[in-house]
Amino acid sequence: MVSKFENGAQPISKIINQSIKQKVNYLQELDQAVKAHEDQKVYALLDQKRYAAEILHREEKANDTGVMTLVDDITNHLSNYLSSKLINYLSQAYPFFYYEEYQLGHFRIYFGNWWDRRQFGELDVLNIRFIFDQTEYKKLAQSFELSQSGKRFNGEKIDQLSKENDRLQNLIDSQAKREAKKEELQAELKEASARNGLFESSKNREAREAIVSELSKLEDQDEEARTAAGKIKENNQAVLELSKENTILSYERKSIVDTFESFEDFEVQNHNLYANYLKSLVDGGKQVIAHD
Amino acid sequence: MTKQMLSTATDQVTSLTASLATGLKLGEQYVQLLNQLATTTDANQLLSSASDLIKFDLTDAYVKFPHHYAPEDYYLLFMGRLLELEGVEGLEVKPDPLHRRLAMRLTSFENNYTFCFEQKRGKEGAFFCEQTDHEPLFNLDLAHQSLQFNNQALIDFLIVKEISAHNDLELQGIIKPLVTFANLLDSKLNFMINLGILATKNEAHFKLAAPELSLTVIDKLFVKTAETDTVLLSLPKNNGAKLKLGDQIAMTLCYDPDDYSKQWFFMVNDPKENLSFLDVLLHYPLVRDWYLINRESLAIMDNNFSYTPAADERVVRHTPATDAEPVKEEAPASAVNDDEEASD
Repeated sequence: MVSKFENGAQPISKIINQSIKQKVNYLQELDQAVKAHEDQKVYALLDQKRYAAEILHREEKANDTGVMTLVDDITNHLSNYLSSKLINYLSQAYPFFYYEEYQLGHFRIYFGNWWDRRQFGELDVLNIRFIFDQTEYKKLAQSFELSQSGKRFNGEKIDQLSKENDRLQNLIDSQAKREAKKEELQAELKEASARNGLFESSKNREAREAIVSELSKLEDQDEEARTAAGKIKENNQAVLELSKENTILSYERKSIVDTFESFEDFEVQNHNLYANYLKSLVDGGKQVIAHD
Repeated sequence: MTKQMLSTATDQVTSLTASLATGLKLGEQYVQLLNQLATTTDANQLLSSASDLIKFDLTDAYVKFPHHYAPEDYYLLFMGRLLELEGVEGLEVKPDPLHRRLAMRLTSFENNYTFCFEQKRGKEGAFFCEQTDHEPLFNLDLAHQSLQFNNQALIDFLIVKEISAHNDLELQGIIKPLVTFANLLDSKLNFMINLGILATKNEAHFKLAAPELSLTVIDKLFVKTAETDTVLLSLPKNNGAKLKLGDQIAMTLCYDPDDYSKQWFFMVNDPKENLSFLDVLLHYPLVRDWYLINRESLAIMDNNFSYTPAADERVVRHTPATDAEPVKEEAPASAVNDDEEASD
C-alpha cells in the first residue's frame, strides 16, 4: 500500500522527528525548571502566550497546544507543586485569605480566620487567579457600597425584625389589659343586647355591631399572642444570623481596607495578580532559589 | 460476756466491771485518736487517725460519751490540720457553738462564708459545702483516698451567686487554698485528685456535658465580640473557635477533628499555666455572661471516679459494729444511769 502523503513537501519521518524534538525540548525545559524550582519558568512554559503578553509585553503566536497538552494529566501535581511559592506570596499580598487543599492541587479560599469565616471560592494556581464565589463576592461588594452611605448590610432587616419582636412582646404583655377590656365589652354587649328586638334603634344596632367587631379584634390579638413567644424566638434566631453576617462582612471590609485601602484597589490588584506575582518571582528569584 | 444467768452479786459485779472496762477502753482509743488528729505533725498519721475516727463507733451500753465530734468534724479537722502543717493560710477551723460542730472560715477577706463537710446518703466520703445553699464544692473520700471538685457546684456558688457580692480576686481567694489542699493530698498522701474546672494545665480538657453543641451558641459569642477589640477565631480545621483574652492568653472551644464522637471541650492556654476555666469565667465578663446565658449547652461534665466497693467495706460503713454490744436486759438498773455523771 502506498500512502498518498508520501510525496509531501517534507518526508513524514522528518515531521515526526521535528515534532518529537519539540516535545522533548519542552519537557526538558520543564524538567529543568521544576528541578530548579524556577516557578516563573514553569509558568512561562505552561502558558507561553499569556507570559509573553503580560510579562515580556510581546505579542506571541498562539500557544503550541501540541506540547502543552503533554502535561495535561499532571496538572493537579503541577498545581500542588506551584502552590507553595504562590501561597507564600499571597500570604503577604492578601494576608486575610486562607487556603485549604481539599484535593491534590485544588484549593478552597477562606476569607479570614474568624469564626464561621466564609468560603470565598477557589484559587486557580496554574492560572494565578482567584475564582471567587459570585454570591459571596457580590455581598461583599454591596456591603462596601452600603457602608459608604453609613448603612449596615442587614441593617434594615434587623430593624424590621426587632420592631416586629417589640410588637409581639407588647401583645404578650398586654394580655391582662385585653382581658379587662373584653370583660367590659361583654358587659356592654349584654346591656345593648337587652335592648334589641323588633324595635331596636339603628343607633343601638350600630353600637352593638361595633362592640362585636371590637371583641373579635381583641380575640385576634389573643390568638396572635399565643404564638408570639415562639415567633420571637424564631426572629431572634434570624437576627443572630443576620448580625453574624454583618460582623463577618465588617471584618472582611476592614481586612481589605487595611491592605488595599479600597475595594476598587483590591479589584485592580486581583486583575494584575498574574503579572505581579511572576515579577516578584523574577525580582526575588535568586533569593527564593537560594532557600531551596 | 455470755448470755447465761448470773447467780451471785459478785458475778454481777465482775460482769459489770468487765463491760465498763470495754466501754472505757473504747473511750481511751477515741481519746488517743483525737489527740493524734490534733497534735501529730506527720501527714500519714493525720490521715490514719482521721480515717479511723470517721469509722469509729463510740456507742456503748455501759459507758456513754455525750460529748464527742461527728464524722463531718473529723474531715474538717483533717483538712485544717493538713493546711496548718504545710503553713497554708486563708482557711481556719473554728468551733461553731450555735450548731455544736466545727466550721471553717475564710480569713483572706471580709466575708460571712461558713464551710462544713456534709455526708450524703449512699455517697462515699463527705462533701465540702458552704452553709448558705450547701453547694457541694468538692468530695473528700479518705477511704478511697480521693478528692474531686464538682464543676456544677463551683459555678453555682462562685459564678452565679457570689460574683455580685465579691470581686474576682476575692473569689479566687476562696479557691486558692482549696486547690492547695487538693494538691497537698496528691503530693503528700498520694490521693487521686480531680481538679475539674480548677485545673490550670494548658492541656486540660473541660468537656461539655451535652453530647452535641449547636453552633448557634458559638455564633452568639462571635456577635458579642464584634463590639470588642478581640476577634473570635475559627480553628484551622474548622473544628471550633478560639478567643484571645489577652497577651498569649486564649480560650478554645473545640473538638478533636479525628474524634468520631465529636466531644466538645474548652481549653485555656496561658504561658504560665496559671489560669483555669473557672478563672476565665471569673475574670472575663464577656465569656461569663455568654456562658451563663447558654449554660444549658455549655455546662461542663462532672467526671466522677468510680469504685467497686468491697463487700465488707460497705458493711462497716453503713451499719455500726455490733459485736461489742452487751446484752441490755441483763444489766443492773443501778449501773446504767451514768448520763449525768459523764457530762461536764
